[in-house]
Amino acid sequence: MTMLRAERVTLGYAGRAVVHDVSLDITAGGVGLIGESGSGKTILARAFLGLLTPMAGNIWYGDQTLKKADMRKFRKDVQPVFQAEALDPRMRIGASVAEALPVRGPRAARARVPELLEQVGLDPGLAARRPHQLSGGQRQRVVIARALAAGPRLLILDEPTSALDVTVQARILDLIASLDTERLLITHNLAVVRRLCRTSHVLFAGRVVESGPTRDLLADPAHPYTRALRDAVPKLGGSPPQARGTTEAVPAETGCPFRLRCPLAAPECERPPVLRDVRGRQVACHRAEDVLVT
Amino acid sequence: MIEVRDLRVRYAGRLAADVPELDVGAGECVAIVGESGSGKSTTLLSLLGLTQDAEISGHVRVCGVDVLAASPRGLREIRGARAALVMQSPQSALSPATRLGVLMRRALKLHGVGRGADRGGSLDEIMAESVAAVMLDRTILRRYPHEISGGQAQRFAIALAIALGAEVILADEPTSALDVTVQAEVVGVLRRLREQRGLALLLVSHDLALISTIADRVLVMKDGEVVESGPAARVLTEPAHPYTRELLEALP
Amino acid sequence: MTSPGAEVPLRRSLPRIPDRFAAFGAVLIVLIVLAALMAPWLAPYPDEPHPLEGSLPPSGAHWFGTDQLGRDVLTRVLYGGRTSLSIAVSVLAVSALGGVTLGVVAGYAGGWIRDVIMRVTDVFLAFPALLLSLALAVVLPPSVNTVILAIAVTWWPWYTRLAASVAASIATRPYVDAARCLGVPAPLIVLRHVLPNSLTPVLVQISLDAGGVILTAAALSYLGLGAQEPTAEWGLMVQQGQTLFTTNWWIGTFPGLAILVTAFAFNMLGEGLRNALDPRARTVK
Repeated sequence: MTMLRAERVTLGYAGRAVVHDVSLDITAGGVGLIGESGSGKTILARAFLGLLTPMAGNIWYGDQTLKKADMRKFRKDVQPVFQAEALDPRMRIGASVAEALPVRGPRAARARVPELLEQVGLDPGLAARRPHQLSGGQRQRVVIARALAAGPRLLILDEPTSALDVTVQARILDLIASLDTERLLITHNLAVVRRLCRTSHVLFAGRVVESGPTRDLLADPAHPYTRALRDAVPKLGGSPPQARGTTEAVPAETGCPFRLRCPLAAPECERPPVLRDVRGRQVACHRAEDVLVT
Repeated sequence: MIEVRDLRVRYAGRLAADVPELDVGAGECVAIVGESGSGKSTTLLSLLGLTQDAEISGHVRVCGVDVLAASPRGLREIRGARAALVMQSPQSALSPATRLGVLMRRALKLHGVGRGADRGGSLDEIMAESVAAVMLDRTILRRYPHEISGGQAQRFAIALAIALGAEVILADEPTSALDVTVQAEVVGVLRRLREQRGLALLLVSHDLALISTIADRVLVMKDGEVVESGPAARVLTEPAHPYTRELLEALP
Repeated sequence: MTSPGAEVPLRRSLPRIPDRFAAFGAVLIVLIVLAALMAPWLAPYPDEPHPLEGSLPPSGAHWFGTDQLGRDVLTRVLYGGRTSLSIAVSVLAVSALGGVTLGVVAGYAGGWIRDVIMRVTDVFLAFPALLLSLALAVVLPPSVNTVILAIAVTWWPWYTRLAASVAASIATRPYVDAARCLGVPAPLIVLRHVLPNSLTPVLVQISLDAGGVILTAAALSYLGLGAQEPTAEWGLMVQQGQTLFTTNWWIGTFPGLAILVTAFAFNMLGEGLRNALDPRARTVK
């Protein structure tokens, strides 16, 4: 059974919807949520963390909606890993990690904090430092240690490495891969998803446009946007990245949100596409078969 | 267009960048690769005399001007006109209450572009042409900075450079704040300008994959020093230095 | 961005008040506070009338002269500092405590809680500060406490506003979200994360305001609504000296100078703090 599930959720701020009617399960083996700025991926993460109540639809935690669930248990089970800025600049590292311990108090902290720091590959001696005295990679490790302190079963990771240098990023990804928890990974970086997530969902303009096994999605995209995304990533020694169509088009009010940017747009794209099964995955595109062929 | 010999930049006695040799000719693209603290941005800024409180020694010529010996006035002549700097987030450098067209016109007038017969065409023609060269629509000139996307802002910055008659573009992580699909567009524009106008490009980036698709030559920097340099194809396929190898292996 | 064409100039030419000014201000404040605290030991004479030595001009025996009752003006300036400074400290402490608490709660909670707090704040801000203080001071019996109350009532809304806007921005930081995800109760989040990280701009504002409070308190006393004879208070002393200015200039001038120097010192410190802490005032590379 999946621990956390979004059921037709619509999310937004101040009455304006940003994410429309999204359903997705956080399944085992890592789930990736891929999207660029404005796709709604971060707001979806906030909803999964119970920081934002959906305007419509429900977040299910086991067999209860988040509105009714035991939040103490939920907070213990589900923890976020934000970017390295997720540390209070005025708090010492040790205090930051200790705050996250389920059993609080100086004795528990003295025992557990060094263990947690070691678990994420940090010298326990860093506990006395403040965030600005650490490198970006070290800070990100502290953020992970803090999340682990609660003893979570699921980590929701929002761009955990995008602010880091590549060599540091690689080591943090190793650490995340070695952790014994379920994970929902939110990122724009396809390579990171490939490494850490068995299943992926591609988000465009607040809608899921393609879901399926990460490997299939990246090898053989069925949605033109997934393909554009993949092709735009520069490859070492490869040909220059290609911009397909314009990226500046505003999502349409009706019809397929991608149609103004889509090289395959056809008259039928004026009708909104629904998610349908195409070759082992779900795609919201009238022309998915054509995308797979070309 | 850019000629550097034995450049050393020090901050409070600490060596921040040491570049023995760096040349960029017209129509060439050279990239400086490195992680944070490698000195890559310091190197770039020192080429335009933009480093503050730094001691710089060596020999730097940009567009024929000796940067280290130049007067503030001489520097201003190359900076912004013949050699343009493109930064990571151009939007923050655009005055929010001014339409882009007005902004560009002011910049051109300030540099005396379109006055007399030094370069063909009226101001309007130059502006329209430069905006078209970065594949932006002319209507963008009527917009305000907050009404355009990051990719558009970055291309507008490049258009401004072209309108001012830039021969060299120095770009510091020009696409790392952008989405990948938008990045592709900006890189495409830079490549086109280089091929069609013989623009010289000096690019600073942490993205080896991106660099490999656009640069002719690469300098790899670490802790202020150039650890490896050479043709991009060679450095990125047969790295000689262990650090370059480490960078390549870290690529996800 | 191409540098000269763009609207934003290289920021190296921003005028900055050197930190030396701030340090000078701080030293000055310490000296003034020490002088006030140690008034009983520093004062050359006891603060009592000497009918035979009235209205003496400044001399070796009485550096600042004496007033019409024969009290040494230097002595009274020192004692007056105690009153004026304790008024300033009390006003700032009361209004900062109340104002910041309300502001941080408003900023963190948002929604209707913020709306209610901010509307109340706006109502207080809508009255001209001095007028409101005056009205209060007229209703209440004139005393030092009245002055404190009257000024504090008009002062706190500024801190509420400031703290609310800072706290609202702090509340969106990832570390606050992370704390919420840990199930840390809201009051603890405010106390532990939001408040400490919102304090810097408030502290700057307080030091900038100290001078203003002293001046306002002096104005109220000057109008006869604050400290009463025989209490020494700078504003009151200026008022008493004013009528005699043409004949005995020293009676009003020295307490006036004390007000001026103190207000100036706090302002220097505040400006310096602001420049040191406000990233916008810093030069960029």
